[in-house]
Amino acid sequence: MDNAEAKKVLIVEDDEFLRSLNAKRLETEGFKVVVAVDGQNAIDLIPQEMPNLIFLDLLLPGIDGFEVLKRIKADEKTKAIPVIVFSNLGQKEDIEKAHNLGAADFLIKANFTLDDVVVKIKEILK
Amino acid sequence: MPKPIVLHWPTIENYAGDWYNMGVLEPFANFSFVNYPSFWAILLIFFVAVFYLGRFWQSRESHLQILINEANLKTQQIQELEKVNQELESKNRELYSKELGLTLANKKLQSLEEAKSKFVSVTTHQLRTPLAAIKWTLDMAAKGQLGTVTDEQKKYLSQGLISTERVISIVNDLLKIDAIDAERADYTFRPTDLVKLISNIIFEFTNQAAIKKINFLFLKPQNTIPLVEMDPDKVRMVLENLIDNAIKYTSSGGKVTIKISDERINSAEGAIEIKIIDSGIGIPSSETDKIFQKFFRASNAIKAEPDGSGLGLFIARDIIEKHNGAIWFENDPGDGTVFSFTLPLHQKKV
Repeated sequence: MDNAEAKKVLIVEDDEFLRSLNAKRLETEGFKVVVAVDGQNAIDLIPQEMPNLIFLDLLLPGIDGFEVLKRIKADEKTKAIPVIVFSNLGQKEDIEKAHNLGAADFLIKANFTLDDVVVKIKEILK
Repeated sequence: MPKPIVLHWPTIENYAGDWYNMGVLEPFANFSFVNYPSFWAILLIFFVAVFYLGRFWQSRESHLQILINEANLKTQQIQELEKVNQELESKNRELYSKELGLTLANKKLQSLEEAKSKFVSVTTHQLRTPLAAIKWTLDMAAKGQLGTVTDEQKKYLSQGLISTERVISIVNDLLKIDAIDAERADYTFRPTDLVKLISNIIFEFTNQAAIKKINFLFLKPQNTIPLVEMDPDKVRMVLENLIDNAIKYTSSGGKVTIKISDERINSAEGAIEIKIIDSGIGIPSSETDKIFQKFFRASNAIKAEPDGSGLGLFIARDIIEKHNGAIWFENDPGDGTVFSFTLPLHQKKV
């Protein structure tokens, strides 16, 4: 895209196909996409990459999404980065927990198209 | 010794015949009882003694008898008690084994229930992930984001997408259906901050409303709402259903309002009233009496949203009634619908 300062989005997702589809769609939209394949990977990457926004899956091998979210929000350096929880869990306990931990939003993957996701990101990064 | 007075009373020889003539009783020939008054006295004393001895013996006997009877009775009672005791013990054992059986059955049911819940949530999650993948791919392909497609290809891809959406909607309903099975006894009533609950639910729906550019409003009274005794998970389901419907059946640019009212707090009912007001398609007046029925879907609702299960309002009414509340709606076809329900502040013990 023509924007030299493309916004950077980190996608934390362990499912390879979902990750690649999401990345492809966001790249088409002109975002710079970084991916993490599990919780530990995300925790290592976030302070280095300092993305403008994070897409966070909840069920991840090893450290789960809730823990990643907790650590992002506990770190002065990263706590301002908006986190959109993007999961297929969607029980009220999960939504409430994510909300209380400081998630900017909670999207259930199967209930949204990637176009909806793009709208959402633009709205948050406005 | 005083000289015996001879009285002409019959003497022994008159009575003893042969024995007397044989001389056996000769020494007693002149014996007459009458001549010995002391003998009579001794005899009298003897009889009296025998009489009293007899009585004493008799009374001793009857005392003994009473004691024996009592002892027998006691033994009998003890035996009876022992029998009752044995019966009780065996009943007790029976009850205990029944109780044990019940506890085991209950445990089994509980673990079945847990397994069911786990199954539903895991399956739902496991189903949703590949479904999301199919949905995203079809959506991107249909929109030409994965390369150029002809109009005909686009048509097929869109049809595929609609089918996928239908499966996703069924999977989503699977999670809700669990709630119908729950009895009132399974409800966990606790004092709940209704405003906080509604705010959380609104947070969930902001996206869905924003995508349709629906104006989302939350009105609450100025006074602080007291805590309402409810099962918050179940009431959440009611609110989710009603708000989801309101957004689904309201066209783009419309309005959905959630309003809490405390006007009924001081009435006999002592209830909080919640209204979900939309500017949507309404309910055809010919179908208003069926709207809370299981699997019923209004004809205009099917047209607007082919994928509903017809369970949402059925579940909602079930839950509200188990809270001793009421649910109803006011309808203005073409101009929107108002769904209202009440929740008593306190639940009566059943």
